[in-house]
Amino acid sequence: MNDTLRGILSWDFVAQIIRVTTPIMLSALGALVASLAGTPNIALEGTMLMSAFVGVIVSGFTANLWVALVAGIATGVTMALILAYFSLKMKTDIILAAIALNIFASGGTIFFLATLTGDKGSSASVHSLVFPNIHIPIIQDIPILGKILSGHHLITYIAIILIFVIGYMLYRTPLGLRIRAVGENPHAAESVGISVHKTQTIALVISGAMASLGGLFLSMGYVSWFSRDMTAGRGFIALAAQALGGASAIGVALGSFLFGFAEALSYSLQFFHIPYEVTQSFPFLITIGVLAVYAYLKLPHVRKRRTGGINVSKR
Amino acid sequence: MKKMTVSNLFQFYRTAIAIGIALLLGYIIILFTRYPSDPASFMEGMKTAFHEANEAFQFFILGPLVRWRRGVAEFNESGFAQWMNETTPLIITGLAISLVFSAKQFNIGAEGQLFIGAVAATFAAVHFPQIPFLHPIVVIIVAMIAGASWAVVPGIMKAKLHASELVTSLMMNYVALFMGLFMIKTFIRDTTAGSLVSLPFAPTSRLILINERYRLHIGIIIAVVSAFIVWWILKRTTWGYRVRLVGDNEQFAQYSGIRTRNTIFQVQVVSGAVAGMAGTIELIGYHGRFLWLFSPGYGWDGIIIATLARNNPLFVLLAAFFFSYIRVGAKIMGRNTDIPPEIVSILQAAIILLVTAEAFLSRWKQRSIEKNARRMEDTPKAEVQL
Repeated sequence: MNDTLRGILSWDFVAQIIRVTTPIMLSALGALVASLAGTPNIALEGTMLMSAFVGVIVSGFTANLWVALVAGIATGVTMALILAYFSLKMKTDIILAAIALNIFASGGTIFFLATLTGDKGSSASVHSLVFPNIHIPIIQDIPILGKILSGHHLITYIAIILIFVIGYMLYRTPLGLRIRAVGENPHAAESVGISVHKTQTIALVISGAMASLGGLFLSMGYVSWFSRDMTAGRGFIALAAQALGGASAIGVALGSFLFGFAEALSYSLQFFHIPYEVTQSFPFLITIGVLAVYAYLKLPHVRKRRTGGINVSKR
Repeated sequence: MKKMTVSNLFQFYRTAIAIGIALLLGYIIILFTRYPSDPASFMEGMKTAFHEANEAFQFFILGPLVRWRRGVAEFNESGFAQWMNETTPLIITGLAISLVFSAKQFNIGAEGQLFIGAVAATFAAVHFPQIPFLHPIVVIIVAMIAGASWAVVPGIMKAKLHASELVTSLMMNYVALFMGLFMIKTFIRDTTAGSLVSLPFAPTSRLILINERYRLHIGIIIAVVSAFIVWWILKRTTWGYRVRLVGDNEQFAQYSGIRTRNTIFQVQVVSGAVAGMAGTIELIGYHGRFLWLFSPGYGWDGIIIATLARNNPLFVLLAAFFFSYIRVGAKIMGRNTDIPPEIVSILQAAIILLVTAEAFLSRWKQRSIEKNARRMEDTPKAEVQL
């Protein structure tokens, strides 16, 4: 047990948390933007998977990291645009359209992987590149701080910067205001001249791009291959982290850290042959609890609106 | 029999066209992958591609029913058994989702409900006294109770707190997965087996087999009967009417004296009970032990099936038979050629997107309604239903 504790309390464990949190946090921030615009993006899971796949394949065939990065993000944006086209223009239910995209991604990546490489399990035969780790010159030499702050992955640093960019964008820019207005009440937003469809499309595209970064981190971060269903539900976990974190980018980042912590802990416990499933289910239980509290706090408010006779239906 | 309205006819055509487009898409993709890497000429290459694609497509379209032995076509018993067995969970989850969708509740918790149902059923199948005939019934009832109780959480949160059932039911899926695996691992794991599986089920808990060789079990009959029961409940009982009314117009239902929150809660729990059966029947029918390391995904399939069926339990049968048919077809194609059977998910995605796209072909619908209206003006007595 002492070994376990030591393993958990080490700085490597902190680094591990940061590592597993990165993809969840990127997608969760994307989920935040989409959900504030009133267009919940359930397709994050499929978006991550597709981007992870395209990134590896493109980097394998072009041997250029930056082309792969652009291709991966373009994939995420394309997925988002398909979702936007079907849900906004073709009036498909956005949840169902997203489920369709997830199914497409899950099977489609395996199909194309097998067709392109002849291997159905992973892309081990493709020589893919990885994004580098960043060592910050002076800080890395400071004893403890150096281990926490330096030596992480490029995309991890991007993710941390993006917390603040997304937060600023949502609450300090006209675009953010439009996104929140559209999500809060599309009719009111439309009446003051905001194009609802355009704003929601932008929000979905942002969420798709964020999720694709998360996907690229999975396949081109610490490993250099794609394996089938390698996202393993992280896109859905991101939705949970977003629900837990509420409407602020910092909150969502903290929510993601909780899930990252649980995942990292499960790896450590697994190593020591301790059943890790229980700890892994904790963040979900906590999320349910937090959602219940949120909902409870909102109740009198909802009642007031109801008796006011105004129909504010939200799903 | 009611006359088919323009609306219904339109739905029918749209579904048929969506399926047609998806199959065409599948054919084109296969065609592309069949193009040889070093053809003598473009035409030669296309010829080979078409030839091979046609051959592969024949397996895909006819595989579950027909097999060829020395060039002679015969009934494919194993394909048929596989088709029936794979349809079973799809029908059941489709029914579970139809129930909640009828009340306009977006519950995606069927996945967790069937998983936890199967876990609970595993305990009953291993430890319950081995009484023939009673045993499988007890196992299924245990699974239903577990599934229903799993649905209570999002149900209460929706009915009492107005929390989105979408997110809570999604969370419950993961709790079911992790807790379920923990229970199997800790209490009922078969330590002699190499992988993580439960102890084998007691022989008395197994479903009767229709065909021993291909392990075709009576699950499909249970599923079909369930579809008729759910249809009867939804369309012929007061409770079912209440559920549908809440789904059509919650406020109207409230004003007409229905306790909508209760109804919403009840329908979620009933749906959970139905979903609880889905995985269990496959385990006691086919596998004979618990062997899932991941959620089997039938809950998501159920959403597709219910959507295609427009929440009508009888159409759920059609949709489930169709979906598992193309899946089994794709697997048979995969065994006979080197085309990965996962191609079927691309087709499924296309079908869902097109069938659920309200605007798809809507101009055609508008035009035919106008045409009908004009005809009505011309012949005032003709009965034309819109």
